[in-house]
Amino acid sequence: MSKWVLAALPVAMLGWACAANAASINAMVRTPDGIPVEDAAVVLNPASGMPRPALRRATIEQRDREFQPYLTIVTKGTAIDFPNRDPFKHHVYSFSPPNVFEIKLYADKPAKPILFDKSGEVVLGCNIHDWMEAHVLVVETPWFAKSGADGSATIKHLPAGAYRLRLWHPRQRAVVADVKVELKSTDAQHFDMTIDVAPRAVVKKPPPDAGGY
Amino acid sequence: MTVFRSLERRIAVVFVGLLVFVMVLMLLIVGRSSEVIIGAESQRQLAAGARNFSNLIERDRRQLELAASVLAGDFGFREAIATQDRATVLSVLRNHGSRIGARMMMILSLNGEVLFDTRRPAEASHTFLFQALLDRAKQEERSGDVVLMEDMRPYQIVIVPIMAPVRTAWVVMGFPVEDTWAEEFSRSSGLDVSVVSAAGGIRASSLPPALRQALTAVQWEALDEQPKQLTLAGYHYHAVSLALGSQARVLLMLSLERSEAVFRNLEHILFIIAACSIGLFVVGSFSLARRIAGPVNHLVRAAQRFEAGDYSPAATVSAPDEIGQLAASFEHMRAGIAAREQKISRLAYEDTLTGLPNRTRLTESLSALGPDDHAVIAVLDLDRFAPINDALGHRVGDSLLQLVGSRLLEIMPQGGMLARLWGDEFAFLIEKAEPETARQFAERLLEALRKPIDIDGQKLDVSGSIGMAFYPDDGCDMDVLLRRAELAMYAAKQRQCGCMFAAEVGEGPPPEQLSLIGEMRQALECNQFVLYYQPKLDLAANQVVGAEALLRWQHPERGLIPPGNFIPFAEKTGFIREITPRLLEDIAAQAASWRERGMQLVLSANLSARDLLNPGLVRLMRELLETYGLSPQALCLEITESALMEDPMLAQAHLAELAGIGLKLSIDDYGAGQASLAYLKSLPVHELKIDQSFINSLALSPKDAAIVRSTVALGHALGLSVVAEGIESQTDLDWLREVGCDIGQGYFIARPMPAADFSAWLTRRALI
Ligand SMILES: [Cu+2]
Repeated sequence: MSKWVLAALPVAMLGWACAANAASINAMVRTPDGIPVEDAAVVLNPASGMPRPALRRATIEQRDREFQPYLTIVTKGTAIDFPNRDPFKHHVYSFSPPNVFEIKLYADKPAKPILFDKSGEVVLGCNIHDWMEAHVLVVETPWFAKSGADGSATIKHLPAGAYRLRLWHPRQRAVVADVKVELKSTDAQHFDMTIDVAPRAVVKKPPPDAGGY
Repeated sequence: MTVFRSLERRIAVVFVGLLVFVMVLMLLIVGRSSEVIIGAESQRQLAAGARNFSNLIERDRRQLELAASVLAGDFGFREAIATQDRATVLSVLRNHGSRIGARMMMILSLNGEVLFDTRRPAEASHTFLFQALLDRAKQEERSGDVVLMEDMRPYQIVIVPIMAPVRTAWVVMGFPVEDTWAEEFSRSSGLDVSVVSAAGGIRASSLPPALRQALTAVQWEALDEQPKQLTLAGYHYHAVSLALGSQARVLLMLSLERSEAVFRNLEHILFIIAACSIGLFVVGSFSLARRIAGPVNHLVRAAQRFEAGDYSPAATVSAPDEIGQLAASFEHMRAGIAAREQKISRLAYEDTLTGLPNRTRLTESLSALGPDDHAVIAVLDLDRFAPINDALGHRVGDSLLQLVGSRLLEIMPQGGMLARLWGDEFAFLIEKAEPETARQFAERLLEALRKPIDIDGQKLDVSGSIGMAFYPDDGCDMDVLLRRAELAMYAAKQRQCGCMFAAEVGEGPPPEQLSLIGEMRQALECNQFVLYYQPKLDLAANQVVGAEALLRWQHPERGLIPPGNFIPFAEKTGFIREITPRLLEDIAAQAASWRERGMQLVLSANLSARDLLNPGLVRLMRELLETYGLSPQALCLEITESALMEDPMLAQAHLAELAGIGLKLSIDDYGAGQASLAYLKSLPVHELKIDQSFINSLALSPKDAAIVRSTVALGHALGLSVVAEGIESQTDLDWLREVGCDIGQGYFIARPMPAADFSAWLTRRALI
């Protein structure tokens, strides 16, 4: 496990190394009604010559009977930890074809992280708490960002070049077409993007004091 | 109506009729009400059943959805589905479907493609048939309906999402709507449940096969949510039709027969109660009616008995109620009537002096004899009663009659009747008597009377004469029989032979005379006997000095009957004894009346032998003289020579007494009898009346004239005045005056005339 933690360091160092001559983009994601969309994935795929992605680690916590965070975007080959912060067990599963797995009832941190080595959309659930839902978007590229509560997502340290800008959301009603992007070395481009998102499925979470499970 | 003739029946019929009426009314009302109630109740029950059915369907759907959701949430199920391995998925569907009894399981893609279908495992994916249902499921997370599958079989299907944890697919679960389904609903709703597809086929039913067959003929279109009448193979139903999903309808039926069964049962019980109570009422009201009518009927029967003359006491009704009071009053009435009737019948049928039956009673008994009966009537008359009665007084006479009656009663044969007819005359009626036994009986009678009778220490000798007549030989009519017996008795008395039979006496008087006694008695009562007066003329002074009273019978039908036609009979039968006292009184009254008016006439009355021998005559005459204030010389009693000769000694004694009073006495019809001169000489008489046969032949027979002349001389010699009656001519009159006859009488002088005419005649003669 400690080997994976150490492996994350070079990635951060790489980011810092390129920072000097890098372009950046900022995307503002809204619904067609103009409401900022949180948890939208903004992904830049280089038109050619995809760099070999570095191995990375990510973490999705189970806290207060919820997955944290709701959306996790990872580069293919990332191993994700599922530490349990609740005083009771969870049973995390994914039936999404790219990465089907299951971590049967566990407490604390599972022995092994789950390796996401196929790109695609993965839906995570808990067999014990039906309302627990999390999404993992496994992409090829290392350039991606997640919109915040204000709908804004920023990708920095981008080398100049041609890209396809992809917008995705776990609850999107329709696929949004990619946008071609030409980046110069110091560009800081801004995109206003629109995506129609369904509200989160209403699976009520019982109050914790009703049993605390 | 004859039913109501008797009180008992009327009471019972009215009571029972009323109850039957009430019961029938009650049954009708109950029947009618229960029909209404059944109608309303069945509608209510059907409506409730229909509501219940909808609820059941809804609940069923929810349960299915819940079950499906639970299944869809099963981790193993979801995990298996996620494998996407066809064989595995199908096997999981079958396995998990069987857990909740689903017969059909499908997996749909999120966009409505059928990915797996347990019924058609090999089939490639195709579009789901029921997109609307799916759309609803997308809206509401789940949906359910009853649908017709491709094979037209109805299924209850539910669609639920497979969440992993986001919606990844749909699972469709189907439950066939079959007979068991219908039966289950039938059980829980109490209705008959049938499912029919929109196309019209019966898809499921809780009905038995025969009725299900009949159901195919039903017009579904006419049925809706409103209850309607439906007849199915002769059974009656209320039915509603409800939509079952979008492609089928369910027919809910309520059997009226089943609903009615409860009421029928109630009606049966009511009917039995009614029948029982009517039965009880019949018994009760009959017994009550009998208790009321019984005593009344008892009284009715008693009253009928009274009507028939039976006054024996009725069994008393001791009830304390009105009927009891009625019965008590009735009993008092009965006792009163019985006592009065007894008294009346005693008065009517009993002789008060002796207590024996009277003549009326005897006559009735005689009348009661039938044509085949034999009987004898024996009439007994005492021979020596009159002198005893006269000598010793009425009280002794009455006692004598009573003693004789009781003595006769002693020897009366069994079953016979002894009656007192009148005076000293008794009669026996003895049935089944032959002449020989009758004669023996008569002997015993006479024997019994021969013993002296003791009255107050005085021994009295009485004897009797008996006359007997036989029924029916001597006559069938009671008057005839009695009369013939009496005639026989008179004959026996005359001959002093004790007893005689009617047959020995002969027929007796003609029938006309047989009824004469009765008529004479009636004549006496109705004053049909009247007196005519014929003047007696003093020939020397040519002056009317007296008149002879002559009896005439003014018969209402036969006119004036001359005395010759009834006096002899009256004398013979003794009835004269009843007539004479009346005549004497009339004559005395007339004499007094005339003397008051200055007519100093001597009135003569004729006496029969019987009258003369009557010991009461002297007393009677004395009373009359006293009553009318007459001097004895004002009356003259004429006695025929033959009357004197019946009992010369007694006649002489009585004449002496009469003469002693001072009455004038006359020998009537002198010359016709055989009285000796010596006897005549001993009689204290004052007058001789020459028999008129001599006077009538004066002109023709010198011999008779000689007799008359010598008789006049003889009379004068004896100191008697001589009377000639039957003078019919002046010649005779002159001749008689010439020979010294004192008094004349006859048609030439004057015919007998009523008293009123007499005085007029006398006045006229005086004027001449
Ligand atoms: Cu959990």
